[in-house]
Amino acid sequence: MDSTMLTAEKELDFLLEEAALRGKNAAERYPEQRFFGYLCSYYPEELILAAGLEPLRLLPGSGPATPAELPSYCCSLARGTLAEAKKGKSGLVGVGMAHTCDTMQCLDGIWADRFGRENVLTIVPPVLLNAPGGLRYYQSEIEALSAKLVRLSEVQKSGQDRSYEPSNNHGTEQEDAENEGNRFESEGDGEGDGERQREQALERAWQVCTRARQLAAELDELRSRLPSPLVAALLRAGQLLPKERFITALETVLPLLHTKARENSGRYRVLVSGAVLESDSLFQMVEDLNGRVVADDTCTGYRHYAQNTVEGVNDRIAEEKPKDAGNPRNLDDSKDDENLRDSQYKIINQIVQRYVNMPPCPCRSQGLEKRLDYLEALALERGAQAAILVIRKYCEPHAWDSVPLRERLETKGIRTLVLELEASELGGQERTRLQAFLESLGN
Amino acid sequence: MVEGKKYRQFRVNKHLKRLMAKHYALGRYQRYWGRPLHRKLAWITSGAPVELLRAFKIYSVYPEQYGAICSTAKATEKLCQAAEAAGYSQDLCSYARSHIGSILRPDLAPMQGLPKPDLLVACNNICGTVLKWYEALAHLLKVPLLVLDTPYLPGELTEHAHQYVLEQLQNMVRQLENLTGRKLDMQDLKRQMARSAEMTKFWREIRELAQAHPSPLNGPDLFIQMAPIVAVRGSQEGIDYYRKLKAETEERVRRGEGAILEEKTRLVWDNIAIWPKLFNFTKMFTERGACFVTDTYSGGWAAELASGDPLESLAATYTNIFLNRSPEFRARQMIELVEAYEADGFVMHSNRSCKPYSLVQEVIRRRVMEKTGVPGLMVEADMADPRAYAEESVRTRVEAFLETLQAL
Repeated sequence: MDSTMLTAEKELDFLLEEAALRGKNAAERYPEQRFFGYLCSYYPEELILAAGLEPLRLLPGSGPATPAELPSYCCSLARGTLAEAKKGKSGLVGVGMAHTCDTMQCLDGIWADRFGRENVLTIVPPVLLNAPGGLRYYQSEIEALSAKLVRLSEVQKSGQDRSYEPSNNHGTEQEDAENEGNRFESEGDGEGDGERQREQALERAWQVCTRARQLAAELDELRSRLPSPLVAALLRAGQLLPKERFITALETVLPLLHTKARENSGRYRVLVSGAVLESDSLFQMVEDLNGRVVADDTCTGYRHYAQNTVEGVNDRIAEEKPKDAGNPRNLDDSKDDENLRDSQYKIINQIVQRYVNMPPCPCRSQGLEKRLDYLEALALERGAQAAILVIRKYCEPHAWDSVPLRERLETKGIRTLVLELEASELGGQERTRLQAFLESLGN
Repeated sequence: MVEGKKYRQFRVNKHLKRLMAKHYALGRYQRYWGRPLHRKLAWITSGAPVELLRAFKIYSVYPEQYGAICSTAKATEKLCQAAEAAGYSQDLCSYARSHIGSILRPDLAPMQGLPKPDLLVACNNICGTVLKWYEALAHLLKVPLLVLDTPYLPGELTEHAHQYVLEQLQNMVRQLENLTGRKLDMQDLKRQMARSAEMTKFWREIRELAQAHPSPLNGPDLFIQMAPIVAVRGSQEGIDYYRKLKAETEERVRRGEGAILEEKTRLVWDNIAIWPKLFNFTKMFTERGACFVTDTYSGGWAAELASGDPLESLAATYTNIFLNRSPEFRARQMIELVEAYEADGFVMHSNRSCKPYSLVQEVIRRRVMEKTGVPGLMVEADMADPRAYAEESVRTRVEAFLETLQAL
């Protein structure tokens, strides 16, 4: 094996190890970074990076969790992540919540009660992504969040507030490393410089996220020829690692994966749709039972990375553009200021466009049919013979959609299993159901 | 008369029965009287801006209220099972399941289900579930769905959120104009809103009369008497009814007549009623002289309409609904109720069917106890599905709570 392949093997092991760790002790393993936790793929990672922080997706730990704040009829994702946070020592600068479902709405309030509202930064994206005024509203939410993140980052860096986890005492050495470690910030002084820095940081963050998404797309294209748990783990790792470290590793690993890719003759081709899957258990079981996940529609899977461009959104953004956006505020403003604001406006809109165009999620409404159409098209494009709709116990949005979705897919000849799971780990009962389901495809 | 431990009935209840019977009869026969008059029928969520629909002469019925009717009529279990057999998870909202069950099996449903709508109107200020529920209805019934997205408010209403809701309302006006073939009469909308405000004011004043000792109202009174403010909000009949109810409640206060015999303990209720066990559950309290003098649920319809032009007012009013607010806001609201009604404790219904109401209750409970010094009990059940009610466990918890409270 040549040295390039050897390096690639090592990087692959590294990524798989990171995926298995689920972000545990990330701050200790990467002391030069300042991590900011988040809970949903609608939380704009670009803004976290631009604020000089590293996004870290919060996942539940293994095993049951019963934090006193939440009742038993709440999903294990909410219970598990809150229980992990209450253990402390996460080393996070703060946590970000994107409003999605009723449970996440409540978790936002509980988290703020426990850790302080100033450390919990919330974004409320429009539920109706195509509603009139929705894009302008979304843009305002993103701008407000961006400012809050920058403020939190600055306050935290200057050591004015360490209240997220009072027990976590950072040393001077670490602070120095943190200051050096931020490649999204640059030197400058004065208000104009500050604005320019913000624009540069946003642009740089956008490029980094786009690169990660491009690599994820390349991996997703290979998925029918690679073991399913491997692909799932690599995509999850990208939400748990410093972003640029993930990019470096995946760039190194992808050529190796191309050589390892094999046609999956004889395996059942399956689409998996669901919310967060913090382990590879389902993917492993599908693989063990002679299946192959050829299409992924999960929050921790490819849906997190998909960066489509849909025609018409740019036109809508232009239509909804505020009258003063990109225009001088007064006669004293210079042409440079005008250009700067216009440029910032474009970057923010790029980010808005990306999140509006993510594959339809049950928590965002563009009409139920749009999600059904998308998943039908995805299944047909990837040649899926079957679909597994994963519902985490008590997850209402996915449970609601599963009824018409199963009906639609089955109408198109795609056998569909609705699999309810307490968490992402599967047991004997699920194995029996999956086995019967996959075997039935051969009949 | 209060007989034994039973609580006092309102004389005006006979008018309430007539009012609600007329409302549902008009809905049922809307196809006969509505079509010749070119008037549409809508199914609408309880937090949607009905005033706008009234201005378009649309007759509105409320599937959530129908869910409560199914429950008190003991039909919920079978209707839910019908929906579950069609693939809807048992963990979904029981109002939604029973309503969908009534569409799939009208033979099992009170009034054989609700009359089929011409359109659906959903506003997500009360929960995200209504959006999924109404999407499912639109898919099943093939009728247009109009949605108003009111962003959740972790803090106060922002200008951009207000503007976003306003623009959607403006768009909803255009959609309703297309659907009904009528132009919006802004003066009529103002009249509808004025009636809505008047009715809400009556409801607020009636509720506030329960600050008297003894309280003229108990929990079941609040839950039963709220029916008009939900179903016929903005109607003259509703205003007339609440005028009568207010007069009778004032009469009780003047005479010092409590809703229950020998009021010893005053409690605040949090969450939707346990409809299938409404009287059975409350009896455990009335037997021990405990009265639910106020609640957060029926109080949700007592909020004043915001100022501004009609659409701006609707945008602010409907986005600021308490279920769309943070636990911090809701804890403050509970604390104010405990103080204003001089409550000795509070009871929270941890309602499996309503996550936005219930999942933050423990945080609120701790905060209210800390700020007011009064104890709070949590009881797990379901607003409509009787299968989620564990009678003995609930009774034990209630008895222990009241014994402790009354020994203080």
